[in-house]
Amino acid sequence: MARLNDDAQWIVLMGFIVSFSLFFLAIVVNQSTVVGQTTAEGVLEFPKNDIRSVREEVIACSDADMDKVLKDMASIAMDRKNAVVSFRITQAPQGLPFNKTFEIHYNNGVTAYNETATY
Amino acid sequence: MEGDYSIVKNECGVSEAIGFLLIFSLVVVGIGLVSLYGYPVLMQQQASADQRIMEKNMIVLQNDIKSLSYKNVPYKETSLKVEGGPLTVYNTMMTPTPSFRITDSSGIDITFHPGQIQYESAASQQVITIENGAVMSRRNLETGSFMLAEPRWFIDTDPVYGKITAVIYLIGMNSTELLSRRGVGTVKMQMAETNFTEISFDNNQVIVQYIPDPNNNFSVAWRNYFVNTLKWTETAPGSYQLPTTDKLVIKRYDIMVKSL
Repeated sequence: MARLNDDAQWIVLMGFIVSFSLFFLAIVVNQSTVVGQTTAEGVLEFPKNDIRSVREEVIACSDADMDKVLKDMASIAMDRKNAVVSFRITQAPQGLPFNKTFEIHYNNGVTAYNETATY
Repeated sequence: MEGDYSIVKNECGVSEAIGFLLIFSLVVVGIGLVSLYGYPVLMQQQASADQRIMEKNMIVLQNDIKSLSYKNVPYKETSLKVEGGPLTVYNTMMTPTPSFRITDSSGIDITFHPGQIQYESAASQQVITIENGAVMSRRNLETGSFMLAEPRWFIDTDPVYGKITAVIYLIGMNSTELLSRRGVGTVKMQMAETNFTEISFDNNQVIVQYIPDPNNNFSVAWRNYFVNTLKWTETAPGSYQLPTTDKLVIKRYDIMVKSL
């Protein structure tokens, strides 16, 4: 009697393993929620350039008429970038190792940034 | 020859036909059970998957709206697949339409109709809406509702001068006609108009009122947002009072949906 050749049983087993792993993979993919997207958006939304340009302008204008500059900057920031911006430059008292103190505030509803710098 | 008929090697009764029948009937019973009990579960799964996909899609659309309004992008388009129900734009002219009313004691009285982009799931009776920059959801014929993604209203406390600024965004969805879509489509949105109002005041009490569409009521979602997230006080049902601020900024955007 011819013996049944069962050397290829592993093909069936492999089929089982592959299909079960696909099944679990599908469950994992199905679990992916909105979290990934909003988190990624949060990282992209960080207003690095806005904060940098506010800083740069404040330091560059530090000798101008600050009240007018503040008003202009606050309304431009709100109009163009939807951010509340304010700053103050104060002369440091005599005897300190720096001349001026900058206080900068920036808030666009998602990111708030406060800085106090001296030079 | 005698060994072939011993008990060990007796193969009497082993029939390929019966084996085939047994396995075949098991397969048939399996298919029967799946179609009897599995199919309804699968359909339910499909409906909830459609709904979850639409929740994601609505947040993608909200991101587009954010880009249009907060980042000065003039035009955005997104391809979507809408399954299980229609996606509709109800423009600001529709009646009845929900509205926001902002009033204060100095005579400011702004009424704003935000319009809506709305998905209504036929299978799961779920409604997902973008209204005034927020993504909200509710079940049909029930009073509850909740916010999936919040709008970006905020109150800023400036530590430099100690001033408090409240920023309110009013984002209207507009279209030239009633648009609706099922299946694959491209949502094209364009920035139509912006308007920027800045109001400075001393101790004026600003009241924001949400007047819902009675058939599509999201007042619970807005109440939770105003009272729990923004910490405003509810003076009357649907009326919310801002904390004392030095300045109120109202930014108003009008977004035109060109096609769905």
